[in-house]
Amino acid sequence: MVRIPKTRKTWWLAVVACLMFTDSGLAFEDDEGCLLCHKYPKMGRITDEGTRRTYYVMPHVFGSTVHRNVPCTDCHTYIKQLPHREVKTGVTCDTECHSIKNPATGKPFSHKPIAEQYQRSTHGREKLAEGHDADKPYCVTCHRNPIYNPDEQGPPPRIVARCVICHEDNKFVENWYKHTSRRIREVKRSSEEIVALCSSCHGDERLVQRHMKAAKEEGRELGRKYRDAVESYNESFHGKITRYGFRKAANCLDCHVDNENYYLNAHFIRPSRDPQSPVSSENKAKTCKRCHTYANENYAALDPHPTDDPQDSPFRYYAEITYNWVGNVVIVLLVSLAMLETIGRRRDGVGWRLHSGSSWWRRSKRGRNRII
Amino acid sequence: MKLSTEAAAILETSMHINKVSDKERSDIENVIAAMPDDRVMLYKNVVSNPIGDLPRYSIHIRIQHMLTFVTFLTLAFTGLPIAFFDHFWAQPLNSIIGGVDVSRVIHRTLAGVMIFSMLYHIVTITLGPIQQMMGSRFEWRRTIIPTLKDVRDFKEDILYFTGTRNQRPEMDKFMYKQKIHYFAAAFGNMVMIISGSSFLFPEFWAAVLPVDIAANFQEMMRLSHPHEALLALLVIAFWHWYNVHLAPGRFPMQWTFLTGKITREHQIEEHFLEYLRNLVELPEERAYLMDILEARELNASEETIATQVGIQISEEPES
Repeated sequence: MVRIPKTRKTWWLAVVACLMFTDSGLAFEDDEGCLLCHKYPKMGRITDEGTRRTYYVMPHVFGSTVHRNVPCTDCHTYIKQLPHREVKTGVTCDTECHSIKNPATGKPFSHKPIAEQYQRSTHGREKLAEGHDADKPYCVTCHRNPIYNPDEQGPPPRIVARCVICHEDNKFVENWYKHTSRRIREVKRSSEEIVALCSSCHGDERLVQRHMKAAKEEGRELGRKYRDAVESYNESFHGKITRYGFRKAANCLDCHVDNENYYLNAHFIRPSRDPQSPVSSENKAKTCKRCHTYANENYAALDPHPTDDPQDSPFRYYAEITYNWVGNVVIVLLVSLAMLETIGRRRDGVGWRLHSGSSWWRRSKRGRNRII
Repeated sequence: MKLSTEAAAILETSMHINKVSDKERSDIENVIAAMPDDRVMLYKNVVSNPIGDLPRYSIHIRIQHMLTFVTFLTLAFTGLPIAFFDHFWAQPLNSIIGGVDVSRVIHRTLAGVMIFSMLYHIVTITLGPIQQMMGSRFEWRRTIIPTLKDVRDFKEDILYFTGTRNQRPEMDKFMYKQKIHYFAAAFGNMVMIISGSSFLFPEFWAAVLPVDIAANFQEMMRLSHPHEALLALLVIAFWHWYNVHLAPGRFPMQWTFLTGKITREHQIEEHFLEYLRNLVELPEERAYLMDILEARELNASEETIATQVGIQISEEPES
């Protein structure tokens, strides 16, 4: 168990120890000296709740991520001195980055617009949340610090050579290349990843039960499929072929996100009872039409989350019971007939194979044998 | 052999249809009369060629069977891994096929071939009888149409299997098992086509059905497609393959689906009424039967023959 000592004396000892083993070759500029400590793999602690926290920053990995040019204190704004004090809130994603300017507006870059949009969605919550809000995903539940073009080492030399003619700076060219090539490519998650991501909460039975209980106590209404959302999707045709890696079938976001501005509206998911939701009764047919061109109101009545729950879908429940019974009875009857037939004919002397042009070469128990 | 009223009627109808000459009629009656009364001794003592002796299926029926057989199994193996995704065999089987990107193309293409096979069959069973009717050769008892006799045959067959009855019933070209199987397959085909179309063209079905029915219809189709496929596969594996491969006397394989011919012993045992037609239509079969009866000393005495021929002639065919 690793625990960070809290006294000033031991803090200084830790800093001295860090300095003694500092590696000189860093992958990104560390003007603030954070890596003095955070480059050590053992840097971390175990919380009072027993959760292991790692504060290790891999310089060579961080140097390849989308945030590699953002100084640590732009996000970790509460750090004013080294060694820093205990972190209470941590990073919130609507913080303005004073070192990075938005090239379009010249203002400090920030994720504030998308964070505000998300805050208004059904998933919206504060960084430090309590009660059932704590079960909701915060930005980092879905978004980590992704690596730029993980499959690509860098821009082709001929492109760099061409660009630096005017832009003069190799590093600038490389950064721009990585930035634009990543955006030009589809950065959306695959359907399988989206389903897995949504399922990590909506498929967590304890979380769902907890949320349903809270909703009941508060008198809040939940969607009809809330309880079985993941299971029923996985049982649907969309779900099955998506899990097989087929990319054209609808995943969670294809229906639950307004596709007018997909990337923005993925952060504005509304419950189905909200008229703004693409799966509300008002918008359902329109949403189905995105893929099913000739979908109408009747089509929108089809259940995309089929279950065999007798309360949710009594028709399907009883139909399935009937089907299972019919299937079992048919097989049992036919196999019984085959067995009876075999016993009856064998008793009269039939063999499995033809011998000398006849399969009736065995001795009959009914006293009438083939004449040899 | 003294024929039952039913068998005598079939024989008379066949002779009428085939416009047999007096001499041929006499030959046929003599052969019938020479047959032993115990039909079991007849099919126990004939000699059969494993690949078949007597005609049963036309080339069209054999092609349709082959198309249905290949498409059915391939459709099952490409569709079931999707329907039963969570089962241990599903993902490996799907991978062997090439994944859903491949299997969905195969599945839809072969569904088209299966529908073609069904239409081809409908044309065959429509034009064939029309042609027979035009030549006044059509005989409905020789068709797959179920009759009350099939219920009686089933009951009598069960009595034979349980040892209560001495003989199997005299069954026609298509016995009760084949009729059950045929209509189950026809029903299953329709279910698969309709339910499959509800997956491929869900908007169409939603548009033509009232809104109260559309959702339940789609649920029913979602259930029907995999359940019917699984049921059909199990029936094929446990019953059809038993009947044509594993049953005593049929092992290791009945060649009928390739040669179109059935073995003599099988024809007499399970399709005796059709065998009587064979005796009318095939002089060489009459000659063969007389030879084998004499060789095995199974033929009835001359007095019996004379008596039975007289009785038989007096029988009137059933309308």
